[in-house]
Amino acid sequence: MDFKLNETYKHEFQVTQEVYLSFQKCSNDWNPLHTDELFAKSKGFPDKVMYGNILNAFVSYFIGECLPTKNVIIQSQEIAFKNPVFMNEKLSFEARVSGIYESVNTVEFKYKFIKFDGVLAAKGLIQIGLLR
Amino acid sequence: MNRKEIINTLEAIFEDIIDEGAVTLSETSTSKDVDGWDSLTNIQLVVVIEKQFKIRFTSEEIISWNNVGEMIDCILTKEG
Repeated sequence: MDFKLNETYKHEFQVTQEVYLSFQKCSNDWNPLHTDELFAKSKGFPDKVMYGNILNAFVSYFIGECLPTKNVIIQSQEIAFKNPVFMNEKLSFEARVSGIYESVNTVEFKYKFIKFDGVLAAKGLIQIGLLR
Repeated sequence: MNRKEIINTLEAIFEDIIDEGAVTLSETSTSKDVDGWDSLTNIQLVVVIEKQFKIRFTSEEIISWNNVGEMIDCILTKEG
């Protein structure tokens, strides 16, 4: 087993224009909250709200690229969005090994995305399987 | 916790994970008797059962179970 209980992984992400446009193309989501600054402002936001699921893509990167093994597959992923993220914001990502289930080769992480002003952007749970 | 209480707890776990309505388990139930209990679901079930009962199984134990009754035997052994 490559993981230890309560072991913590950290990474920094940024929602750049490139990330935003790539996700927009991938999702084909043109909701004005994400694409129209005036619409977003009319709803009380200071700017276009970035797609929340960009953070799920960041989680995918974390699982696929930041762990000590490539023999992983995501079994489930939960996210709760707590505060909106805006263009070019940097996010501090932290994931803690919250459960190890060797009987089924499964590891669980609790994770959170913190904005650089300290505000929680999102948090959730990921369950991965370790490929034999 | 007695066997009946464990079965009731397992039924609640199965219903939550499988999410296809009420699940009724007996000592002789197997995966063939429960719609949606497949190998992937089994991973989720084991994780939640381990959490719920605060126990850990081994892969050998899981493979050895022939029915829910044998799963309960294993849970009782670990609950002490």
